[in-house]
Amino acid sequence: MQIEVQLTNARLEDLPPARPPRGATGAWVEFRGLIRDTEAGQPIVGLEYEAYERMARSEMERLLTELAREYPCQAVQVLHRTGLIPVGEAAIIVRIAAVHRHEAFALLTRFMDRLKEDVPIWKCRARVADTCFVSTGIGPTSLVNDSLQT
Amino acid sequence: MQVLFFAHLKEVTGCAQAELSCGEVDARGLWEALLERFPQLAPYRSMVRLTCNAHYATSETRFGPSDEVALIPPVSGG
Repeated sequence: MQIEVQLTNARLEDLPPARPPRGATGAWVEFRGLIRDTEAGQPIVGLEYEAYERMARSEMERLLTELAREYPCQAVQVLHRTGLIPVGEAAIIVRIAAVHRHEAFALLTRFMDRLKEDVPIWKCRARVADTCFVSTGIGPTSLVNDSLQT
Repeated sequence: MQVLFFAHLKEVTGCAQAELSCGEVDARGLWEALLERFPQLAPYRSMVRLTCNAHYATSETRFGPSDEVALIPPVSGG
């Protein structure tokens, strides 16, 4: 299976999309994970992502290689954005080419589940107008002043 | 060895990375050295996974002076 993984600070919607292969490809699945307008029950304007980039990239490649044995697909492209991402924009885009839809959807679902368990990427701050609050998934959410600029 | 901190652990320790002086150690020895230098990490120990050179550590992993170690709190990508 052909695998492409990118971590970038750039807006994913502006990157040139991978094109579906021709020939034996019968399914072309694209998933976009978007920033919602609330986090931990609070309205937000954006989320800040941080990654251990070297490991995040290798873990995603390892996961995809492992999952491809169970769900053989032809090609996968994963784009994950880091830095401050405004509400409504994509934090992740996954594109999968396969002969049939079943393995493409199955691979996508399992990959997203494993990504959220094992890949060292964090939503570390949510931007609420002119302040940020820390959203770590551990313990209570705490409000902090922050000078992040959009 | 070089130790990397991510997410809220940067605020807990006050730094994104630190140089830790210790010989070859297992995970228990590494935590002893980490907690001696950063005792404020103690409440997070049970939630944090260790990596060695960008691979998750196992019970067999030994951490050496030239290794890059990272403390991985629960992840939340995607």
